[in-house]
Amino acid sequence: MTAASVSSVSTNSGEPRWFLPLVVWRVFTAVLLAAALVATVIQRGIVVDGPVRLTLILALIGGLIGAGIAIRGTLQRVHLGRLSGFAIDFLLVVILGFIALNRMGMFTGLDAVGEAFNGNAALLLIIVVGWFVSGFAERAGGNQRNIKLIARWTMIAGAAILAVAMGIFPGLIEFASRLVRGEVVLFAIGAAVSAVFARLLWTDDAARFFGTNQAQSEAMDGMLFVAPNVLGFLAFFAGPLIVSAFISFTEWDGLTDATFVGFQNYIDLFSDSLFLKSLRNILVFGVVAIPLAVVPALLLAALLNSKLPGMKFFRAVYFLPSIAGVVGVTLIWKQLFNSTVGYLNYMILRVTEWFGAIFGATWEAPQPQWISDDSIALIAVIILFIWQQIGFNTVLFLAGMQGIDGTLYEAADIDGAGPWAKLRNITVPMLRPTTVFVVATTTILGLQLFNEPFILQSPSPPSGPNNSTLTPVIYLYQNAFSEFQIGYASAVAWALFVLIFGITLLYFRRSGEDGVLSS
Amino acid sequence: MTTAQTPEAVAARKAQAKRDHRRKIIRTIIGRGGAYAVLIGFAAAMLFPFLFMVATALKTPEDTFRYPPKILPRTAATAEVGGEEVDLFTVEVPGEGVQTVFLAEPGVEAGLFASLDDPETTISWPLEFAVDTGQTTTIDGETLPIYAVTQGAETVDLALVRNTAVGRFVGLDDPNIETFAVVRTAERAESIDPQWQNFREIIDLRDFDRSLTNTILVTILVVAGTLFTSITGGYAFSRLRFKGRNAIFVTYVGSIMIPFVVLIIPLFRLMVSFGWVNTLGSLVWPFIFNAYGTFLMRQFFVSIPKDLEEAAYIDGAKRWKILWAIFVPLSWPAIATLATFMFLYAWNSFIWPLVSINGANSDDFVLTIALQTLGGQAGEGPNLIFAAIVLSVIIPFTVFVFAQRYFVENVATSGIK
Repeated sequence: MTAASVSSVSTNSGEPRWFLPLVVWRVFTAVLLAAALVATVIQRGIVVDGPVRLTLILALIGGLIGAGIAIRGTLQRVHLGRLSGFAIDFLLVVILGFIALNRMGMFTGLDAVGEAFNGNAALLLIIVVGWFVSGFAERAGGNQRNIKLIARWTMIAGAAILAVAMGIFPGLIEFASRLVRGEVVLFAIGAAVSAVFARLLWTDDAARFFGTNQAQSEAMDGMLFVAPNVLGFLAFFAGPLIVSAFISFTEWDGLTDATFVGFQNYIDLFSDSLFLKSLRNILVFGVVAIPLAVVPALLLAALLNSKLPGMKFFRAVYFLPSIAGVVGVTLIWKQLFNSTVGYLNYMILRVTEWFGAIFGATWEAPQPQWISDDSIALIAVIILFIWQQIGFNTVLFLAGMQGIDGTLYEAADIDGAGPWAKLRNITVPMLRPTTVFVVATTTILGLQLFNEPFILQSPSPPSGPNNSTLTPVIYLYQNAFSEFQIGYASAVAWALFVLIFGITLLYFRRSGEDGVLSS
Repeated sequence: MTTAQTPEAVAARKAQAKRDHRRKIIRTIIGRGGAYAVLIGFAAAMLFPFLFMVATALKTPEDTFRYPPKILPRTAATAEVGGEEVDLFTVEVPGEGVQTVFLAEPGVEAGLFASLDDPETTISWPLEFAVDTGQTTTIDGETLPIYAVTQGAETVDLALVRNTAVGRFVGLDDPNIETFAVVRTAERAESIDPQWQNFREIIDLRDFDRSLTNTILVTILVVAGTLFTSITGGYAFSRLRFKGRNAIFVTYVGSIMIPFVVLIIPLFRLMVSFGWVNTLGSLVWPFIFNAYGTFLMRQFFVSIPKDLEEAAYIDGAKRWKILWAIFVPLSWPAIATLATFMFLYAWNSFIWPLVSINGANSDDFVLTIALQTLGGQAGEGPNLIFAAIVLSVIIPFTVFVFAQRYFVENVATSGIK
């Protein structure tokens, strides 16, 4: 609002008051960027190494070019000047603000919040109750406005009580005291000034001044809306991805300088018996576990799709293992797998006795050491994986089946087709896209196997007895975080990625040739 | 239809139709019965581990190591007799069947007697109920005296193998019932006795409440952050035209394919350089920018008709306001779906917390790490570990009960594009 009121007192020449400060600011940011670039190149003041330095230099060069464009555009009073100026100011707010907040420990301050939150979490209930009441009031419709109003104020009051109980006032004072400490204040001021100019350039007034048209304003909106997402994506996904590829070509212990070794890591992989063992394990795992997690799911889904009573209950039950979380579920199964007192071996014993009694024979019931026997340990992991995955896949298949045109089944009924014929001739072919998706997701998940063997084998090493549960991800983890062979571990990651990507591509290619996914 | 309509033919046809009908009903019943049998079988397999989880969480440590395993939590039963707490046993009393008894007198002098016909069958019985007959017998080359032993109403001749001691047991309900047995091997009577204090113990001793709080906090922030970035991003991708939009969107969708393991190492290095290792922040901030969420919101926004927003836009509403006042209220199903997806993701993620929260300080543990640490401690009783598991699944299960629709919808939307 302030920017708008300032600009309304524009001078006769059509030049608003803020124009001169803006030009000065544009030149200042350009000088700042140039200084930062020089400092990074000569390693004075800004000392970073390896890929980060390269990225920073490239980013600063890009920023400098942008700043030049912004100066030119501002002086010419064209939209490009507004756009590039706004982009620079916006990025400055984000970057300087990030540095300032990070130096103040705001991002890591979550732990303190956790400590304050602990014990006060019950107050959350007030908010939850308020939310539920307002939700129900909305659903009930009609004259429920008073209830809704009360519910909303309950929520607000709950949040306020929670904030006070968690110590928001001492927190704010701490915040203020950190803000003025050391060089933090410089970054904070930089971010604040950039924010003022970004806000200025954002006004309708600036849009008129720089002659922004409808389409250009829409594009600017679009970039702003997508900015949080794209910046986060670059920082936490795309950037790390490129760095990861770079690291995989180096030998690096994470402490000293990395040495570039070209493809050596990848060449070494092929003669690394442990890596080959992990590949063998994961392929055996995949070949056994994936069909067993998919085919029964298809049959279960076909049964669930029969519209008999109680199907919603079964669907919910089958979904439970996917909700419970892998750590808890694996610990439960670890106890079931216990070779002396576990239920699994006990059931094997009882079933063997039962069959023995029927056939009048006494059979020795196998009592495998599920976790510590190297020929069985992987089977235990497979059983656990199937148990976890089957219900999820069932629900996926069921969703796919409910999308199949019902008239196909009616036509089949008229032709006198039985349930088996309908499953084979209608459901399975029509379900091809879902099947490809289910198989692909199960494969991608399965090839990244880590949690189950890691927890089952704990506190022994996750590679299991005689490396029988060593998977590529476990191998990667051991290399990176116990052996500190970070370059080599990155090569393992990329080799696994290529494997996953290749297999997925194969699935989709094959189904693509059949024309299923062409739509 | 050339056959004559004789009464017999009509009757035969009717009978045939009836038979067919009956056969069809039978086939339907068998089919449905089979279907339910399969469904119930799988449901039992899915539910049993959870039943086992709850039951084990309520057991005593010794009870978890019992063999053969029993599902319900049991403890050795005691009762008050004559102002004293006594242990209860279940013992077979001659002539009375299996009875619940208590130990009235330990260390009664007794003998181990063997049957004359079958020396493998032995019994320990007090010497006061045995009378030496003066005869002897030879078992395994040993000469043993024969006693007339009175058990209840019966008296039999048995060989005395050696002296021993038994306990005198008295019936709990009926003091007239009296029997003798070796105390060490007597079967303790048990009662079903859930140990609710296990939950208290795990919270107090292991600071499990802190892990729970941390997980709640991380989950709330990840869900809220992802919703925000996905809603704004999805809106831009679905409605606003700008240069490079489609290229960015295709990159986004493609990035869903990239497995997380590729990112672990560089992301960890990034956390090191930000100083976020061993802080909850490392579990939140990198995970609130989600390509899948953006994709989901974009697909939903595309399906919303344009008339609504155009009217608002002509009225001079800003896009920011249009997004929150028109798009978001219309998109509750998609938002709830994404929220449940991110909820599960944040609540259950393991490998990343394992990497980034690797310190010994349990103050920054989330549930998965706390559980894994607990499970890896050899000395910890399974009952406490299982109590912790129960605490870790209560909230997801509750949310699931209320929001089942959206969980299933999430699966459906990710499955069928």
